[in-house]
Amino acid sequence: MSAIGTMVSARGVVGQTLHELAAEHPHVWGLTSDVGDPIKAFAQAFPDRYVDVGIAEQNVVGIAAGLALEGMMPFVAGMAPFISMRSLEQNRTDVCYQDLPVRFVGWGGGLTTGGGSTHNAMEDVALMRTLVNMAVVSCSDPNMVGAVMRRSMAYEHPLYIRLGKGKSDPCIYEPETMTGEIGAGLVARDGGDATIMAHGELVAEALAAAEQLAADGIDARVVDMYSIKPLDTELLLRCVDETGYLVVTEDHLAFGGLASAIADVLVDEGVRPKGFRRLGVPQLYTGFGSAPEQWVKYGYGRDGVAAAVRELLA
Amino acid sequence: MADPAEIRRLDELSAEMRRLLLRLCGHYSGAIHIGGDMSMVELLISLYHHGMNVDPDDFANPERDRFILSKGHGAVGMYIAMALRGYFDMDEIMATYGQLDSAYGMHPCKIQLPGVESSTGSLGHGLPIAVGLAFAARQRRESHRVFCLLGDGETCEGSVWESANTAGSYGLGNLVAVIDRNKQMMSSLEGVAMNLEPYPDKWRAFRWRVVEVDGHDVGAICDVLDALPPVDHDDPNAQPIAIVAHTVKGKGISFMERNVGWHAGSLTDEQMHEALAEVDARLAERLAATGGGIGGGS
Ligand SMILES: Cc1ncc(C[n+]2csc(CCOP(=O)(O)OP(=O)(O)O)c2C)c(N)n1
Repeated sequence: MSAIGTMVSARGVVGQTLHELAAEHPHVWGLTSDVGDPIKAFAQAFPDRYVDVGIAEQNVVGIAAGLALEGMMPFVAGMAPFISMRSLEQNRTDVCYQDLPVRFVGWGGGLTTGGGSTHNAMEDVALMRTLVNMAVVSCSDPNMVGAVMRRSMAYEHPLYIRLGKGKSDPCIYEPETMTGEIGAGLVARDGGDATIMAHGELVAEALAAAEQLAADGIDARVVDMYSIKPLDTELLLRCVDETGYLVVTEDHLAFGGLASAIADVLVDEGVRPKGFRRLGVPQLYTGFGSAPEQWVKYGYGRDGVAAAVRELLA
Repeated sequence: MADPAEIRRLDELSAEMRRLLLRLCGHYSGAIHIGGDMSMVELLISLYHHGMNVDPDDFANPERDRFILSKGHGAVGMYIAMALRGYFDMDEIMATYGQLDSAYGMHPCKIQLPGVESSTGSLGHGLPIAVGLAFAARQRRESHRVFCLLGDGETCEGSVWESANTAGSYGLGNLVAVIDRNKQMMSSLEGVAMNLEPYPDKWRAFRWRVVEVDGHDVGAICDVLDALPPVDHDDPNAQPIAIVAHTVKGKGISFMERNVGWHAGSLTDEQMHEALAEVDARLAERLAATGGGIGGGS
């Protein structure tokens, strides 16, 4: 566990945590479809609970479902676009329909691979959260994935854990801040003038935006809605009540992800913020380039978020 | 047998393609899929510079042979092979690859880069698309071929075999799958995790005609391509053809060969220079062995 600002590989945390959990729990398995590098140490220690099926995402999820039917707890390590889209029907029908405790750990969430639209995971939150029984968590701090994985040992349902690039990211929390509780949100920075809600890598961007706003005398709250489903509706409603304005940013299509989940709650509860903006990928297939460059291009990185808050408050 | 001067030309082009890949891998800030690029150099050069009927100046000509890079992570290899043929501007590739708003990214995009037949990058998609192109050609009674280059690891995807089944059942004789059989993927080491043998027999079982070839011998590859039977939509015995090309991941650079750590990577200056020198040395060796005197020498 590392202090704020330290650079940590979330994929490394996945491997380390899986190794630890497997040592404690004989029913923990690790599966992958040819992207098993991060869980190599686990694979070497527990070769009889490791399967690498080659490049075959549908296959690996079906196998995970079979293992879970026999009482195992399989963690499927993969790339976010393929683990959400390629195997979608297996995710739904084999895993969710039977309400099995399969964990999908996907890295490369949003535009973080830079590999273009075949490799962007900009629909994954929308697709996964629409599946009945599936919980969706998106990690902002590289150590958060460890907390969620440990916590998930007591969670008996399907779970999607989304990571960003996951190679080297700054820690943004003190370790004990992250309970990994599924269904909770985290106030990453307090503030009373407006609330910025984000998940994954965009939480750090939202925090940077709040810094910019503070320089202008705007006191923005930043909420890490890492548990996109189930959503911490109590926290959401409290923030709207206390700060009035709400900006949601995410490395995902602007429609279908966290912002849509939030909008559903607000409409259903009959709650109307004083102002609401959603930022994210517009309805297009993005091109190449690094994620931070694209966040700027499509206006949902720190500058875009700060601008949206200023506009709302103007 | 392919003409020695032609073999020499293709060997030189292959060496040039390797140099360009290495230079890009040296100066680009991110990782390049250099291992799989190197393993398909001779295949791409033999297809784009010898076997396929294509014209960069008239790249949408309906009579052209079609090419689908199903292993889309090898995009930069395809860009370079195509640029050497005159499709694209090499300097632009070298200067903008992977950058914001460049048409040349990690996986080929047909919309951003006309000349590419289909966007690919998610593995296991190319062959079904190629089958679609082949069906369209058959219905229009066109005589061009559809080539599809796949990674062997990619053929772990069920969709590959679903489309292989279709092509075999419908006897699509205008379809040629070329498999880059380097026996490595990304994390599943063949022989340790997956075992794909008996590989050619798998294709045969799906009613394909199989030809095996040394995927680094341009002469042998050209012989296979030159011997493809003419497309005959009325032949009831027509079969799709699988060229299983035996290759080496990272081919041509000793420190990369068969080292799966080089599936994707970037080179330090020192590594790049070492690798470039090896390309020159191996080309000289190869030209000497294949009668390098023909064509005037350099
Ligand atoms: C559907 C899908 N799953 C995973 C990946 C990630 N990936 C890119 S290349 C690769 C390994 C490819 O191995 P192979 O097909 O043998 O190609 P080569 O060794 O020639 O590079 C993987 C797993 C992908 N691009 N698409």
